[in-house]
Formats: sequence, C-alpha cells, structure tokens
Amino acid sequence: MKRLSGLQTYAILYLVFLYVPVLLLPLFSFNDGTIVAFPIKGWTLEWYRQLAGEATLLNSLVNSLIVGSVAALLSTSMGLFAARAFVRYQFTGKRFSEGIVMLPLVVPGIIVASSMLVLFISVGLRPSLTAVILGHTLLALPFSVSILKSAFDDFDISLEEAAFDLGSGVWETFRRVTLPIVVPGIVSSILVTFTVSFDEFVLAFFLSGNDPTLPVYIWSQIRFPAKLPNTLALGSLLLLASVLLLVVAELFRRRSSNKLV
Amino acid sequence: MTEKNIIEMTGVQKRFGSFQAVSDLTLSLREGEFFSLLGPSGCGKTTALRMIAGFQEPTEGKVVIDGQDMDGIAANKRPTNMVFQSYAIFPHLDVGDNVAYGLRNRGIARAEINRQVSEALEMVELGGLERRGANELSGGQRQRVALARALVMRPKVLLLDEPLSALDKKLREQMQFEMRHLQQSLGITFVMVTHDQYEAMTMSDRIGVMFEGRLVQVDAPATLYASPSNREVASFIGEMNFMPGAVKEETDTSLTVESPGFGTMTIPRNPNVETPGKSVLLGIRPEQLEIAKEQPPEYDATVEGVVRDVAFYGENVHYHVRVDGVDSRIAISVPNYFHTVDHGPGDKVWLGVQGESVIDLGQQSDKPI
Repeated sequence: MKRLSGLQTYAILYLVFLYVPVLLLPLFSFNDGTIVAFPIKGWTLEWYRQLAGEATLLNSLVNSLIVGSVAALLSTSMGLFAARAFVRYQFTGKRFSEGIVMLPLVVPGIIVASSMLVLFISVGLRPSLTAVILGHTLLALPFSVSILKSAFDDFDISLEEAAFDLGSGVWETFRRVTLPIVVPGIVSSILVTFTVSFDEFVLAFFLSGNDPTLPVYIWSQIRFPAKLPNTLALGSLLLLASVLLLVVAELFRRRSSNKLV
Repeated sequence: MTEKNIIEMTGVQKRFGSFQAVSDLTLSLREGEFFSLLGPSGCGKTTALRMIAGFQEPTEGKVVIDGQDMDGIAANKRPTNMVFQSYAIFPHLDVGDNVAYGLRNRGIARAEINRQVSEALEMVELGGLERRGANELSGGQRQRVALARALVMRPKVLLLDEPLSALDKKLREQMQFEMRHLQQSLGITFVMVTHDQYEAMTMSDRIGVMFEGRLVQVDAPATLYASPSNREVASFIGEMNFMPGAVKEETDTSLTVESPGFGTMTIPRNPNVETPGKSVLLGIRPEQLEIAKEQPPEYDATVEGVVRDVAFYGENVHYHVRVDGVDSRIAISVPNYFHTVDHGPGDKVWLGVQGESVIDLGQQSDKPI
C-alpha cells in the first residue's frame, strides 16, 4: 500500500475526530443496555419503541415543528425580498444592511438569547413559542438571504423586464416570472432555515418557557441516566432527519443555479 | 412606409449622476420603417432605446409614440415591445407559453391565444414547436421565440437591442434577411440598436449614428456611406483614407482642391457638411482607388507609391501603399476578379482616383490625420 502523506494523515485524523462521536450516537442507540460503553451487549429497537409513548416528547416535537415551520416561512419570505434588493439595487447603506443581516452568524448565541429575553420581557412578551419563533427567524435570516442571493445572482434581469414589457404589472411579474424561477432557491431556503431552527438550543432554552422545543427537551432528559438510551435514539432520529433535509435543500439549490444558464 | 411619424423624440437627455448618457436627442421615426441606432458601445444608443421602451425615464425632453406623450407611462402600458439582447426567454415556460405570455395579460380567450401563438410561431418558422422547453432551444431558435413573443402583441413599434450579437456569423447573416422580410411584410416600425455597421446597413431604411451620447447623423445607408457628415462617421462606417486638401476654387456644387500626392482635382460638395474654409478633409473609400503597375491614363488624379502590405480576403484583396507626402498608408481594396494577387510588398505601383468619388468631409479639424 502507498504510504500516506502528512497532509492525508491529518485530513483523516480530522475527519475521525469530527465524525466518530456523531456516529457513536446511533450505534449506542441500538445497544441493549443503559450504560454507554463498549462492549455492546446486544441489539435492540426497544429505545425507539419507548419514544413513541413519551407524551412530553411528542409535545416538544410538535412545538419544534411549529417553531421550525413558522420561522422558516418568516425568514425565507423576508430573505426573498432582502436578497432581491441586495442583488438588484444599489442604495446607500447596502453594505451596512447586508452586514447587519449576517451578524447573527457571528454573535454568540448566549448573548443574543439573553438580550432577547430581556427585550421581550420588557415589551411584555413572556417566554413562549412566539418568542422562540421570533428569535429563530432572526437566527435563520442570514441563511435564507445567502441562499436566495445566489438564486438571484444567476437571474437575468431582462427576464423581469421582458415580463413588464409584455404588459405585466409589478405583482404579476413577480408572481409569473420571478417567483417560479427562484422557487428551487426558496424551497432550499425553507429546508435549511427549518433545520437551523429545529436544531437550535440556546435561544430556545432561554425563550421557550413552559413549552420546550425538542432540543430543550433532550437537554432536560440528559439529567436522568435511565433515560439516556432514549435520548440517544431520539438524537439519532434528529441527526438522520437533519442530514436528509440538508441534502434535499442542496439538491434544490443546485437545481436553481443550473436552470438559469 | 408612410409619411406619418410614429415616434417623436424632442430634446431628450439622460443623465446618470454626473454621466451624460444621452444629450439633446431629437429624432423622428416614420411609421413602418426599419431604423437602426448605430454607434460604438457606450454611445448611449441602448439608453435611447430603453427610453422609448419605458425602462428609463428621460431626465429632460419628450418622447411621443403614435401621437401620445409617454411621460409617466410605464413600459407595460406602452405600444412597444422589445427583443432583448439575451432574448430573455422565460426558462420555466415552454415555447408556446413564452409566446402566449403577453396575450394572457390581455384577457383573450384561450382558443384565440392558441391560434395567435401558432400563427406567430409559423411566422418565425417555428411552427409546431409550442411544447418545446425553453432550455432545449438553439441560439437561433431562442431569437425566433423572442421575436414571436414580441410580434404576437402587434406592437406599434418593435424595439430590438443588439438582436443578432449572440449568433454566429452565418446564422446572423441569414437572420438579417429574415428579419428584414418580416418587417416589410408586417409593416411594423422596427427600431434596432447595434454596434455592427454591416448589420445596420443591410437591414435598415435609415440609420442614426451616435457618438458619446450625441446623434451625429441620420440618413439612408447609401447616403451615410457616400456623404458622411464628419470624420467620425466616415471612419466608423466602412473604411476610409483621410488626407488634407487645400481649397483652390469653390462653386455651389464642387470644390477644386489640391492634396499632397494626388495633386489637383475637382470633387463634389458634400451637402451634409459645413462650407469649407481654406482647407478641407478629404476621404477616399479603399474600393474607389485603382491600383496598377503603369500610370492609369483614365483617372483624374494619379500618384506613385510602394506596396507595404497585402491582405487576401477571398472576395477582395487589400493593399496598403505608402505615398510620398501622405503621412498615413493608403488602403486600397480590389475585387478578386481573376484569382490573382497582382502586387507584392515592395512593388512600385500607381494609384488612380476619380474626383467625383472623393468625399468632402468639411473643414479640417486640428486633429492629426
């Protein structure tokens, strides 16, 4: 066998370090024992079966689905208009506003979360799913703006002019030309922003109050050793769902940029 | 073509910030003519077209289409349609839906739309391709779909923004004739923007030449070629040899001039230029010059020179000849009648020209020739 170069060894070690813990999660979720350690005693689906019977789990799953869907729709519709403006128009403060939109990517979550909590309470909004939705919309906006900007980058501006020239008004042009052409980008944005919200913990922990989302529920369960295998099973399912969603989103994103050559 | 003016632009200006894209454009287009705006890139021709279409508002001045002032009327309400440089074929719609797009805005019955769409596609020789996807079209087909999509709207004026620039040479030449025939059979006014002088000359009834935001000359192609109004137009359209001339005698219709090399000759006055003073700029088209081994007796003016370069173009042979007393080399184009190249670099030759084919380009500017 060919000897590996230093760079290849580094790359392999890096991947192992990054992904092996993630792969251990599903592995132990099938382990027929409550202690997370090798050797594995036997294989079971018991933990997955038990998940279905947990009312609080199902409740938090529903919460997460609600929050994720609403936040995805909100951030994608805001991102749609923002991205079109960023790509199409030159205006004062363009770079500044683009920077502001991207800021949540770099500001530590705990800072955003605690300041939002203070802000929401001061305007009379108690910690609730609504508060989480608002927080997640902010957090997901940079993702939807980046995805939709790439959709508009490939969009020939004369397509909109042609629609206008052929008698469509502004809204007709948007509905019959702009929207159908950027639909793959929109779908991709909805899927990605949904995933961002679905996996988010810090903001949800601060803002969800008595209505935990799924990550908050998982965190609460980790305190009970007996529940650990259930948590592993749940985590594995979440991992699978996230990966699937992101793959689909990427396929849509690629479709949107191939289509417009 | 009728005598009625379909478009009247009066004192139209367009500024982008401090950049003057179009200055003081006054232009009347006749109903049913094929008009081209010709000029180098950045000369303001596309901006002028977009002001007719309604995509840009003039900073000053007035655009009137078919007797109606277009001030405040947006592109979707104007009696014009446009063929875009990129063709702007809607990628999510098939050919039929692309062509039907505008008709659907008019609330016409479905059956009638289908009939008009198939008629329009027949017209551009794409009959029966309604269900072809937008991404399955060749460049030429895209151009035809764009034409059909605009013409099906029965516009009073069809605007074309560099419509042939994306096609290869053979297809471009074929489309030039097809578009000309289409325009003549429909009788719709076509306004085309192009930087290609040959395209403009082969297709247009009249050409407007623009430089740096100004409309410099408007004339029929042959007039533009024979009587350009200044040096810029003369050198942009076709090839031109320039040389200075001293005016010896002047009548209403002719000038007697003396030029270095060629000596004294009598040339026609150019109606498109100002009255010359003491000196004029002379222009001679390369194909108006005779090149021979012996002094050609039948020409008004002759001069001896030495061949510097020979370029074989197939249908023509081009020579560059150095003449004593003339600063720049003189270009000569000879039709390739007998498949022979008669002169080589270094050969001594005689050039001959008739006075009537020399072009008077008016008062000579201080610019070096």
